[in-house]
Amino acid sequence: MLLANHPLPGKTIPGDTASRLSIRAAEDTARFSLRIDPAAVQAAGTAFGTPLPTRIGGMTATGGRSALQLGPDEWMLTAPVAESDGIADAFAALQEPHSLVDVGHREVGILVEGEAAALALRSAIAFDVEAMAVGSGCRTLFDKAQIVLVREDENRFRIVVWRSFADHVWGLLQAVSREIALGI
Amino acid sequence: MSNFRIAGKGRVNRSRQVRFTFDGVDYTGYEGDTLASALLANGVHLVGRSFKYHRPRGILSAGSEEPNALVGTDRGNGRFEPNTRATVLEVFEGLKTESQNRWPSLTRDIGAVNDALYMLFSAGFYYKTFMWPKSFWDKVYEPVIRNAAGLGKAPTAPDPDVYASRFAHCDVLVVGGGAAGLAAALEAGRSGASVILCDEQSEIGGSLLSEPAAEINGQLAWDWLEDANAALAGMPNVTVLPRTTAIGYYHQNFIGLCQRLTDHLRIVPEGAPRERMWKVRAKQVVLAQGAIEKPLVFAGNDRPGVMLAGAARTYLNRYGVKVGNRVVVVTSHDSAWHAAFDLAKAGVEVAAIVDVRGTVPTQLAAAADALRIRTLIGWTVTGTRGRLRVSSVRVNPVGAGGKVGSAETIACDALLMSGGWTPSIHLFSHTQGSLTWNEDGQMFLPGRGKEDCCLAGAGKGRFGLKAAFEDGAAAGAAAAADAGFGVEPPAYHVEGELSFTGVTGRELPTDRDLGHAKAFVDFQNDVMAKDIRLAVREGFKSIEHIKRYTTTGMATDQGKTSNINGLAVASDALKRPIPAVGLTTFRPPYTPTSFGTFAGYNKGALFEVTRKTPIDGWAEENGAVFEPVSLWRRARYFPQGGEDMHAAVARECKAVRSSLGIFDASTLGKIEIVGPDAAEFMNRMYTNAWTKLAPGRCRYGLLLGEDGFIRDDGVIGRLAHDRFHVTTTTGGAARVLNMMEDYLQTEWPDLKVWLTSTTEQWSVIALNGPNARKLIEPFVEGIDLSDGAFPHMAMATGKICGVPTRLFRVSFTGELGFEINVPARYGRAVWEKLFEAGQRFGITPYGTETMHVLRAEKGYIIVGQDTDGTLTPDDAGLSWAIGKTKPDFVGKRSLSRPDMLAADRKQLVGLLTADPKTVLEEGAQIVLDPNQPVPMEMVGHVTSSYWSAELGRSIALAAIQGGRSLQGRTVHVPMPDKVHSATITGMVFVDPENTRLSA
Amino acid sequence: MLLIRCPYCEAERPEVEFTYAGEAHIARPADPSALSDDEWRDFLFIRTNPRGRHFERWRHMHGCGRFFNAVRDTVTDKFAMTYKAGEPRPSDEEIALAGSATSVGEARP
Repeated sequence: MLLANHPLPGKTIPGDTASRLSIRAAEDTARFSLRIDPAAVQAAGTAFGTPLPTRIGGMTATGGRSALQLGPDEWMLTAPVAESDGIADAFAALQEPHSLVDVGHREVGILVEGEAAALALRSAIAFDVEAMAVGSGCRTLFDKAQIVLVREDENRFRIVVWRSFADHVWGLLQAVSREIALGI
Repeated sequence: MSNFRIAGKGRVNRSRQVRFTFDGVDYTGYEGDTLASALLANGVHLVGRSFKYHRPRGILSAGSEEPNALVGTDRGNGRFEPNTRATVLEVFEGLKTESQNRWPSLTRDIGAVNDALYMLFSAGFYYKTFMWPKSFWDKVYEPVIRNAAGLGKAPTAPDPDVYASRFAHCDVLVVGGGAAGLAAALEAGRSGASVILCDEQSEIGGSLLSEPAAEINGQLAWDWLEDANAALAGMPNVTVLPRTTAIGYYHQNFIGLCQRLTDHLRIVPEGAPRERMWKVRAKQVVLAQGAIEKPLVFAGNDRPGVMLAGAARTYLNRYGVKVGNRVVVVTSHDSAWHAAFDLAKAGVEVAAIVDVRGTVPTQLAAAADALRIRTLIGWTVTGTRGRLRVSSVRVNPVGAGGKVGSAETIACDALLMSGGWTPSIHLFSHTQGSLTWNEDGQMFLPGRGKEDCCLAGAGKGRFGLKAAFEDGAAAGAAAAADAGFGVEPPAYHVEGELSFTGVTGRELPTDRDLGHAKAFVDFQNDVMAKDIRLAVREGFKSIEHIKRYTTTGMATDQGKTSNINGLAVASDALKRPIPAVGLTTFRPPYTPTSFGTFAGYNKGALFEVTRKTPIDGWAEENGAVFEPVSLWRRARYFPQGGEDMHAAVARECKAVRSSLGIFDASTLGKIEIVGPDAAEFMNRMYTNAWTKLAPGRCRYGLLLGEDGFIRDDGVIGRLAHDRFHVTTTTGGAARVLNMMEDYLQTEWPDLKVWLTSTTEQWSVIALNGPNARKLIEPFVEGIDLSDGAFPHMAMATGKICGVPTRLFRVSFTGELGFEINVPARYGRAVWEKLFEAGQRFGITPYGTETMHVLRAEKGYIIVGQDTDGTLTPDDAGLSWAIGKTKPDFVGKRSLSRPDMLAADRKQLVGLLTADPKTVLEEGAQIVLDPNQPVPMEMVGHVTSSYWSAELGRSIALAAIQGGRSLQGRTVHVPMPDKVHSATITGMVFVDPENTRLSA
Repeated sequence: MLLIRCPYCEAERPEVEFTYAGEAHIARPADPSALSDDEWRDFLFIRTNPRGRHFERWRHMHGCGRFFNAVRDTVTDKFAMTYKAGEPRPSDEEIALAGSATSVGEARP
């Protein structure tokens, strides 16, 4: 296999102290965009091996696989990279009309962690990040870049962004983390 | 240097002296000083020259409303800012400042000749004087006028600072940290609501900072303030933002706050932003912005040393600075008396209090007597003297019936004035809330609002500390309640209140000719009362027109101190009441705001998103010259050994046509269309027929708008019965997907098909040239690449270099070509592997410029370059791409509209110049007869034009009216050097039989 | 920046997540070829362009991705309500009802 090339290879932004803010490029995951009539969501969950959430913004996760509902008929499925082919095969057997598209290489993940994580994101995200429920996610804009934002924990967020926009998001996070480290 | 600092007074930090310069002179001040207070402490009143007349000007106010004291500030390291208000600029060690609009120096300014010629420069002077000749406007009048008039000079170097922004959501936003705002924030904070309190000053406190003697609930004001600040700091739900100006109030309680982070610091930490734009969405807003004191309008009211009485009181009480040694107070309002009292108590000689009212409250008169201050009740001021600083004031009694008696001159070195107070309703006005005229207070007050906001304290005409506290507390509690938090506001007990009655003056009565009085209304724009009267005489009736004609209120201070005076003068001249004359609209920003703050992070590398492909790094390392294509940057060409673009492109073209070129096509838009109705959806969207396209085959797809014009194109492969791999133009990717989603979601929601952008899932490597197959054959697994099994316009999935691929046999060059899609993370590695293996074929990386030439040689169009949104498929010579038997597709009906069938529509054709070396300019116009008179009839334009190395001559594409019927005809192309002639040809210049495609 | 309620997400989201998409309730004719040139012209180009209440389309582009309809006042820029694509044009009563639920208070005197 050839060498994979990442836009943010092994990068981190340490911030002032790791507890307050730490930003790093996330590990690769298998990632699919699933489109299916919400009436068939149960069958899709069976194929995926994890029940799918049934409201926009909702997330489910079991055994390393997670599903985030982004639109009325749209889910982002993630799983360990090695499980990619298995997921594609499982959906190929699904009788309900649907669209499963591999977008594992389309995006990269950035983890924003620490007490100041929400503060850092507020620099470039217009909706009320502080009020976002833990275990929810949504598509939004980060400055001028479209992202998917997931709140994995009170102080841990995951940004999923198309790879060509990742540099921009990263550069902005660097500037923001400087401010936060300086305490201004 | 004289010292006007008074021991034991003020809040500046006497233990921290700071040195700064003004016009190259060293001064000292204290931490906590503004430039204005520090200069006044050194006896400096003269700080600038006025905009138009170059009159010496001093410090008028002690706040952000300052119209006069604008200086240039140099913070070092290229940080220069013009027009900084000295009254808000905090001094720090090493600060360098300079006066503006003077030459050669502030005290001897050549431009002051304008002052002697002031009768010439009245309202509308420019419009009346510089009428003709027209050509003089750009070349003579405007440069000269601009040079003579004006404020500070804009810096020419790039701004070295960085800026920040932040979104915030809160229950209650309180604007203004004076008595009312503090009380509001305390109540809202206690309720548990999330609160943001902002104030433009360096310290929270507002007028309390100037009222040390007042007692609040038994505490001295500053002790109370300290406790209040501590209480707010102890509330985790409250954010307090000093040095933060609310600059604009927008829909749905969206408020912009400009926070100044480092301007006051001697040493700016590396990478620290200078300012931050807060974008606050508040459930409720409390506006507690206080009130601004009005100057009085009389001759000579603009001399250095003439200032607002409240400002003098602030300099004394907050900064411990006396503004003069012998002062006169002139007022129409009680509050100025307190300035006189405080100054007298501090040992300043108060030569007189001149009150233009007939009577004043008895306790004020008694207090003046007790301090042995002479009072002149019912007197007026009719002039001042003093070249660079006021030296005396001319006062006259006003008798019964308004008769002005004989004058007396009183020597003084400062003249303090007050014409009453104007509530700051700017932000409320931004919401388009209505204003009502309050006849008693002679002021505009907020009326019906359009947002969830309320006003409190002096900002809505409730003057005095007790009123401000209680009004603020009630507003804070109510705002919290409306946001879902309950709290009961307390009562406040205040001792030592100022008296707040007064009248709003018109221009003061005088015994002199009003037509010659230099009685200023707008200090910053040098507008006098006589200018406003002139405007009225010349027929202007609306304040909006008077404002524009005289420019009153149009300076950078937006008339904070001048609007009501201007309105009063206009009202008198028009003999109509003030509300009938109207008030001009306030607009954001409240105070001048740097462009940097608006830009926020978006400067330098973060100015705009720069999208890069997975192969971009290789291109950069190999010397590519890039060009922007929508948000992408793409390699344009790869110069070698000092080649210019022309040479590099010629070499790259040759390599492709003769052997092998490699091109990064990753930016092509890609959409995966999946579902049982995929083919039906494609049939409806694209002009072509898709039903019969077999899996494993591609087709050129043409997309129209409903208006029948070409929107996009691209090669589309069918992966399976229910799955298409659609490509779009680079710039059209998002637009096409949006258009498809629109039709799918809103017109054909019954179709079982879904669209997913895969642009960035795939890296795309285009290989073109006779040796393309030979190169990839050894690396491809699972696909038979022979011409029979994998002909032109075939596609298949398999592996290349061990990674999955979607391989297309397509060509945008006319040569044997492949487009290799691999998962994005492997793009660069596959590219490098192929590049290495391609060395034996002399593989040549080529960029977009070469791609453009190669496709133009074949007559392949680029949507957006050869089309401009007004070309139909037939215009572009693409009628063959229309599925004739399809009953409908997007845009089909429009193609039979009469206009679309006209014979004289512009059609794409080829052009060959008579001189083969001439490369026409893209966009050049085309005429049939070069000898016709100007304006010539233009029949078309050049859309693409290149040097073709293959042909050893130039080629061009052009859109020409009825072009296809004019084959062989000579046309003419006027260009800057000469008119060139060219012959209309077909669009295909190289290999018209397409023999190379199937090589 | 406006707040816009997405009827699919059932949440108010910032305007930057949305794109405007023209007047609402203009359905593409089922058989365009049956239309006269004038009828087709009207479908393509003629819009109401009202001063005041406007039925219009928006897309939650950087959100759930759905096109939906909105009732907005072109003078005040205020949204009275939003509703899903395909739903009928709301009645005056429905608009008034939705508008009163989201209207803002007057400034207190």
